Amino acid sequence: MIEFLKKHYEIVEKGSRLYKLQIESDKLVEILSYISINSNFITLSQIACTDWIEDEVFSLNYILTTKERDKNLMVEVRIGRVHCSLPTLLTLYPQAQVMERDLHEMYGINFRGNDTLYDFALENWNEIPPLRREFDTLAYVNEHFDFRIGREDNKDVKVEVKRRKAQAKELKDGK
Amino acid sequence: MENNDNQLIKIYHGPQHPGITGNMSMELDLLGETIKEARTHVGYLHRGFEKLIERRTIIQAFTIVCRICVPEPDPNEENFARAVEGLAGIEISQRAKYIRVMVLEMARLAAQMLWMGGQSGSIGLGVVGQWSVYDRDLILDLFEELTGGRVYHMYIYPGGVRRELPNGFLEKLAQLLDYLERRLLDYDGIFFENSTFKKRAIGVGVVNRDEALKNGYVGQVLRGCGIERDVRRDNPYLVYDKLDFEIPTYEGCDVYSRALVRRGEMVESIKILRQVIAQMPSEGAIMQKLPKHRKFKLPKEDIFVATESARGEFGYYMAGDGSEFIRRMQVKGPSLIHGFTLLENLLIDEELSNVALIMNSLGICPPEMER
Repeated sequence: MIEFLKKHYEIVEKGSRLYKLQIESDKLVEILSYISINSNFITLSQIACTDWIEDEVFSLNYILTTKERDKNLMVEVRIGRVHCSLPTLLTLYPQAQVMERDLHEMYGINFRGNDTLYDFALENWNEIPPLRREFDTLAYVNEHFDFRIGREDNKDVKVEVKRRKAQAKELKDGK
Repeated sequence: MENNDNQLIKIYHGPQHPGITGNMSMELDLLGETIKEARTHVGYLHRGFEKLIERRTIIQAFTIVCRICVPEPDPNEENFARAVEGLAGIEISQRAKYIRVMVLEMARLAAQMLWMGGQSGSIGLGVVGQWSVYDRDLILDLFEELTGGRVYHMYIYPGGVRRELPNGFLEKLAQLLDYLERRLLDYDGIFFENSTFKKRAIGVGVVNRDEALKNGYVGQVLRGCGIERDVRRDNPYLVYDKLDFEIPTYEGCDVYSRALVRRGEMVESIKILRQVIAQMPSEGAIMQKLPKHRKFKLPKEDIFVATESARGEFGYYMAGDGSEFIRRMQVKGPSLIHGFTLLENLLIDEELSNVALIMNSLGICPPEMER
């Protein structure tokens, strides 16, 4: 079956039973519809997103699995990080609903046609979507939470490591 | 609950509820005792694993992955290790592969024992849980001897496994397998063949077989619909292709069929472990030589790996960026689709008293949904 798809698309073999196809985002629904109807890659197992902030793009991998569950095909689309938007795949795969909702919350990607993009794991989140690279976890934590008493010395691990190294060196030198 | 006005009553099943499978909640609209609408809520245990991992080196990230699912940390370790090995081009020894299979099957047995406790508890069969949690503890004793940890093992590491087997470990494991095999007959009497359980489970939580494959259901949900799918056989990893085992299936599509599938899987895990004991090479490196901590860099590539956990396929997507940090690791456990796509539909027109029963049968573990 993968041979049949190879005739139509530039599919790269990434390893044993794992394949990859890169497509333009405006062809997403068209190509996934074609694949799901004309091949045995019928299941959407995961939508994995990576933030390539240095290239100003998100890379989304739609991971498809065969009916026999013996092969996986990663269909990659790249979209700009600003006003990022993609069509929903709800009509093809019902499980896309929750996956898109998750990605909407974590990256701020709008999935056109999915009207269930409300809160997933975070409640009333008004900050930058947290899985974007520019979201500063440490700054957020410092702003919203207090360090527990007795753990102040854990704030800067590097200082502690330096202190311990110096202590060990002193012991070694017999001071 | 009588309601003559046909008005819906909203209740929350969880997160503080003994019949919930972890820190999650079901928002239920009830007409009398019948569920008319169900919505899954997660976020009570959001620890931000995927975000934490973005800024950690491989050994630092390794300490986090096992915590993604408490009842089943080992498939997470295996996925993480195999993804890193796939990206870095590391091939592990045969001995290490056999040891990993041993750990994964022991973990599967332990997880099924814990599940039995949860499922029986959901219908008031408390004794089953007391027995099965004790038997699980015997497996955890072996894990403690092998890895130093009872629940979180941090044992399967990129390049192999972290410690050699203790002296006499395989003999102890063989003895435990004999014991567990005998105990399965006791569980048949008290649980699997129990008339109360059968009455509660047969015909309840029936999954639509026709949509099971396309919708991405995995594990016992598929096999309980008579569909023979298992990553260990369909897309084999480690040395599963060298081992002889069956994939138990039942046709009922209901809670009872899913329970029988799990029972069959325990038998198969015992069979696999006996083969591992017999076939494991006595010599061979358990760990490959790896680059030093800060020099262990992953290329700018990505990969998807999957492991068959005790509840179904567990998938990891991983991307490297040429540095010592993992650019992205995205987890997809069985619970995401089972807990939303499947459960929200399955509960409609079910009785309130069946919520815990159905949830347990799907093997839902909230931390892997809200990674």
